[in-house]
Amino acid sequence: MAATRGPASDPARRLSRRALVQGGLLTAAAAPFLAACGVRTHDYGELIIPAPNHPVKWPLSKRYTAIASGQKPKPGSVLRIYNYADYVSPRMLKDFESKWGVDIHLSTFNDADEALTKIAAESLGFDLYFPSYDSVGKLIQANLLRPVNQDYLTNADNLWDSFRDPWYDRGARYTIPYTIYSTGIGWRTDLADVDLTKYPNPFDVFWDTRFKGNMAILDDWHTAMAMVLMRDGINDINTTSSHALSRVRDELISLRSTMRPKVTITMYNDMPAGQYGLAQFWSGDAINMPYYLPKKVDVDVLRYWFPPNGVGEVDNDLCVCLGQGSNPVAAHYFMNAILDETSAGQNFGFTGYQPPLKQFTPSQLVKQGFVPANLATAIVQESDFEKGLPLLELPVTADTEYHEIWQEFKSGG
Amino acid sequence: MAEEIVTTAAAGSDDNEGGVGSPWFWRGLALPGTAWVLLFFVAPLYVVLAIIFGSIDPILRQPVPVWDPLHWDFSQFNYVMGRIFGSDAYFRPAVLRTIEYVAIASFLCLLIAYPVAYFTARFAGRWKGVILACLIAPFWISYMMRMLAWINLLQNDGLVNRALSAGGLFDVHEAWLSGHGSTVVLGLVYGYVPYMILPLFAGLDRAPVSMLEAARDLGASRWQTFWRVTWPLTRSAVVVSLLVTTLPMLGDYFTNDLLSGSPSTSMIGNLINNAVLTPGQTGQAGAFVLVILVISVLPMFLYVRSTRSGTDIAV
Amino acid sequence: MTSPVSWYRNPWRKPWMLGAVTVGYLLWSLAPVLVAVLFSFNAGRSRVIWQGFSMRWYYGDPLRSVWHDQSLHTALEHTVWLGVLTTVVTVPLGVAMALGLDRWRGRIPSAANLAVIVSFVLPEILIAISLLFVATVLVSPVRLGTTGQVIGLVTYQLSYPVVIVRARLLTIGRDYEEAAVDLGASPVQAVWRVLMKMLLPAVFASAVLVFADVIDDFIIVRYLSGDSSTETASVKIYNTARAAPTPALNALATLMLVASLLAVAIGFFAYRTLTRGEKGGLDVFTGEA
Repeated sequence: MAATRGPASDPARRLSRRALVQGGLLTAAAAPFLAACGVRTHDYGELIIPAPNHPVKWPLSKRYTAIASGQKPKPGSVLRIYNYADYVSPRMLKDFESKWGVDIHLSTFNDADEALTKIAAESLGFDLYFPSYDSVGKLIQANLLRPVNQDYLTNADNLWDSFRDPWYDRGARYTIPYTIYSTGIGWRTDLADVDLTKYPNPFDVFWDTRFKGNMAILDDWHTAMAMVLMRDGINDINTTSSHALSRVRDELISLRSTMRPKVTITMYNDMPAGQYGLAQFWSGDAINMPYYLPKKVDVDVLRYWFPPNGVGEVDNDLCVCLGQGSNPVAAHYFMNAILDETSAGQNFGFTGYQPPLKQFTPSQLVKQGFVPANLATAIVQESDFEKGLPLLELPVTADTEYHEIWQEFKSGG
Repeated sequence: MAEEIVTTAAAGSDDNEGGVGSPWFWRGLALPGTAWVLLFFVAPLYVVLAIIFGSIDPILRQPVPVWDPLHWDFSQFNYVMGRIFGSDAYFRPAVLRTIEYVAIASFLCLLIAYPVAYFTARFAGRWKGVILACLIAPFWISYMMRMLAWINLLQNDGLVNRALSAGGLFDVHEAWLSGHGSTVVLGLVYGYVPYMILPLFAGLDRAPVSMLEAARDLGASRWQTFWRVTWPLTRSAVVVSLLVTTLPMLGDYFTNDLLSGSPSTSMIGNLINNAVLTPGQTGQAGAFVLVILVISVLPMFLYVRSTRSGTDIAV
Repeated sequence: MTSPVSWYRNPWRKPWMLGAVTVGYLLWSLAPVLVAVLFSFNAGRSRVIWQGFSMRWYYGDPLRSVWHDQSLHTALEHTVWLGVLTTVVTVPLGVAMALGLDRWRGRIPSAANLAVIVSFVLPEILIAISLLFVATVLVSPVRLGTTGQVIGLVTYQLSYPVVIVRARLLTIGRDYEEAAVDLGASPVQAVWRVLMKMLLPAVFASAVLVFADVIDDFIIVRYLSGDSSTETASVKIYNTARAAPTPALNALATLMLVASLLAVAIGFFAYRTLTRGEKGGLDVFTGEA
């Protein structure tokens, strides 16, 4: 340390400036070299967006073919699963590992945007991914998925009939349903004195200043903005109308400044821990809350509200097989396990997210103790999908507009 | 350490030109490291530029770099600049907030670090070793661990609230982790103070005691001695310690994420972290990176220049 | 360093205010960590209410203890693995670079020197993001996962050996190697047999610093991580601290803390042994920031 001092000469100063210029020139010189490294590009035609009134039967991928029937997973091989945190039961993973001798590597992401970016890099070799159907179209059109060989899905008969041939993937060529859930309002009666009947629109509760600093909304751009749209009485939650979106923007900004909401997806932990008393909620997280609740707090304080007329956000998540993975056979076995009654029960018990299987009839869930009676509203009925509002993929310009509004909201005023 | 680094940059001794043997021998030694820096530090900065000024893939909304500066598209860059400086400046509050938080936190850091370093260097006596070890310890405890410690303490039913309620005497339900700017500043101070104490200690420890004694002998009061002698002697250590704490704070996003999680406390680091993995916004993250680069390189060069003009005594 | 003698001769009264501030600061800086360590031994799930002492979260719990939870294990192993790999690459690279830059005058070396220095003081997020971009848009050796992480960490840490070794080279001077060459050694032999021996403490110190710094790294490691097998302990803490952590997370953090402190303690004492009798040899550790 002592030796490093010393008066520096003027030439040294000039040198450093030159060095800077030189650094710049060198970088520019490196450009052709970088270009030679090769860039990943995609080339595809018009973006196709599936919707309930516009079902899509996807062409089979030319890049990845379905695997041959009758294979067994290689013992000792690695199955790479990419999923939300706490969204698959560790017990189910352990059982699958010991049954097939496969080593599961579970990687997690915070939101679907992050997941899509990492999947698009194509270097991580994930075998299975759990998207919502709003990104399935992108994944298929960007040639990232491997078609599913139905022969492996011996448990597919367990699925609710309406999920055998879904509108987002006619013929179930690429997907299997994973969980079903609604999006509503959750609260704790001991921390927030909520009475939804006194508002013109129940979602007004999020703008009620009595709950300032005591609330949270979901850190998922489309889910949160759809809630604002519904508050405005706009049930087309995939609207591309700039007028509607600018209203959404104004309301989000006022929400941020008057309510100081937390923006997160960890309500299932935070609300039981007492960090806030009111939040936008996914039904699965609501069902899961009792597990995280401290023992001294009565389960009875938990509430979940979903529009009683059934017109609210209802969605399902899927499981897909990524082409970049190196273990498609084990991936197929895992997909089949998801449809298995026992595994699905383990998953449901751990995540709180309901599988659309015949064995889990909504009326039975309360009786069997999966769901406490005060959270029965969080159970999704098969009929909810008839009236419910799905979050669809958006055309590029609208997608950008939504994202910009969300970005503005998140950057904080 | 940083102090050395910065001053080494300035040290250009002309007397030891060349070593034994062929100059190519020494060049050969320096080559791998130089190539490494060029390839993995300098060249990636160009990739950042190619992405900021590049285009976006239409379906997955992933960035597509454009290598040729003649074909650069400035729309993403302008977008970010417009949101910082323009009329629709919704990034500006976050930028201002970053400056505010970092300034307050740096000031508090200095307010804590200077007396502690001063005491340790001057008055700790035989406890010096022990105190020094305790001062260094947090530096070796992972930042995440230290934040985790505060999350535990600041939870609604955590020790802080329980201490404040004085055993149930008062009803305290302060949700410290739900968007309090003060909690974020506390986290920043707690996280970065150790980085400041050590260079300050090194500077204070080196300041010759004889000069202070002389000042006192000549009749200066304690305060005068400090203000006229100690402070000028350690000024450059203060600048360095401010640099090494302030610059990393500018890019910090995890303190905010862990201790607040609310948009109302977002900093530039959070804007980067939110944008970088959002389809279609990657170029914006690059533009923010550029902003931080400019903000952080300027003070460093100013400092290097000032040490070169021979104004510094203590280093 | 001020010797005890000059301290005794110090005519000033001890300012108790400064002492109180120092003690207060030490309490404030260390107590939260000690509380977190304490709760890693909690018998219950809570990280705020003490429910008795147990080793449950280290190995007792069959599903979620550090010993049994595969993901926590992997995090721990990967952390140490990255530390070792990065140290093994950074130190030789940096030492050779320091030697070369010290004896090579010109624009290229001063530019390289500048780049190393700049890379140290810049916010880490810049290096992390620029390499992330390289990894996601280019087909290159920089890939998400261990490779990318090591490349990022080496780039960020290179300044430690370069600066420490150069500082030491300045105190050593040229005489020894010139003498060796005069006595018939080749430059290679002079460097390897003479210079390297004298540089050993500096090399050792930089290795310890790099290792200890890498196992605590967060930003580079997180952005450049691939799948879960490349997540380190600090990334794990970050991801889980916001979701639903158990005291197992505290246990993981405690183990990391022990590893860091152990590495530094070993380094500290070994360094002291190596530089016995030299004044100011410990500056590398105390001036660290």
